[in-house]
Amino acid sequence: MPPLRGHIVPDVTVVGIAVAGACGALARYGLEGVVSRRWPGAFPWGTFVVNISGAFLIGLVFVLLTERVSVDPWVRSSITIGFLGAYTTFSTLSFESYRLLEDGAIGLALANTLGSLTAGLAAVYLGVAAGRAL
Amino acid sequence: MRMEGEGKLLRVFVGESDTWHGRPLYEAIVARVREEGLAGATVIRGIEGFGAHSRIHSSRILRLSQDLPIVIELVDTAENIDRVLPILDEMVSEGLVTLERVEVIAYRAPAKDR
Repeated sequence: MPPLRGHIVPDVTVVGIAVAGACGALARYGLEGVVSRRWPGAFPWGTFVVNISGAFLIGLVFVLLTERVSVDPWVRSSITIGFLGAYTTFSTLSFESYRLLEDGAIGLALANTLGSLTAGLAAVYLGVAAGRAL
Repeated sequence: MRMEGEGKLLRVFVGESDTWHGRPLYEAIVARVREEGLAGATVIRGIEGFGAHSRIHSSRILRLSQDLPIVIELVDTAENIDRVLPILDEMVSEGLVTLERVEVIAYRAPAKDR
């Protein structure tokens, strides 16, 4: 048998992200449903709870899997990019903004959070306008 | 006990996704040089860097945090370090090895204290 060497990144990582992503999407769907049925009202609590819990989890998981325990990189990618990314992309936004704050790049951290929010609102507006124009 | 002498420092630069027969390459290298009776080995994970493909790996951007840099440091006598070089030739398919002559100061507890 020829020696197995080189990268395991493409194959295992892609499958891991796909499977974990499916689970993350369903976790989001489930929790959002439970929360918004329990606290119905004007404020979208379901999305809020999902976003904030996702941000907490990405901080916890990333530090555990890089600084505390050693796991294969594809496991870390499956959880952080796959599961938590599908659960809420707000986790990535928050994580990367936090990293910028840690580096003292306050301007970039603000630009990242506020930029995503305002550009997101503008993009929805444009999408709505485009949808209605069709 | 304090021991002083000439030795060699060998550094291996690889990525954490590099594998050897299904296990992490850095882990395999540490196990292998331990079998060879080397004095010691230390594995360090970098937080950012780039290699031969000029692709940035960084723990600050989630998407770029998948293959963080790994440095394996081995310090021993020149003969012992030269002995493991052919092993690394076989195991490292992509990466970098650097060699330096170093002054070594080693501290050893007397056997009965260990």
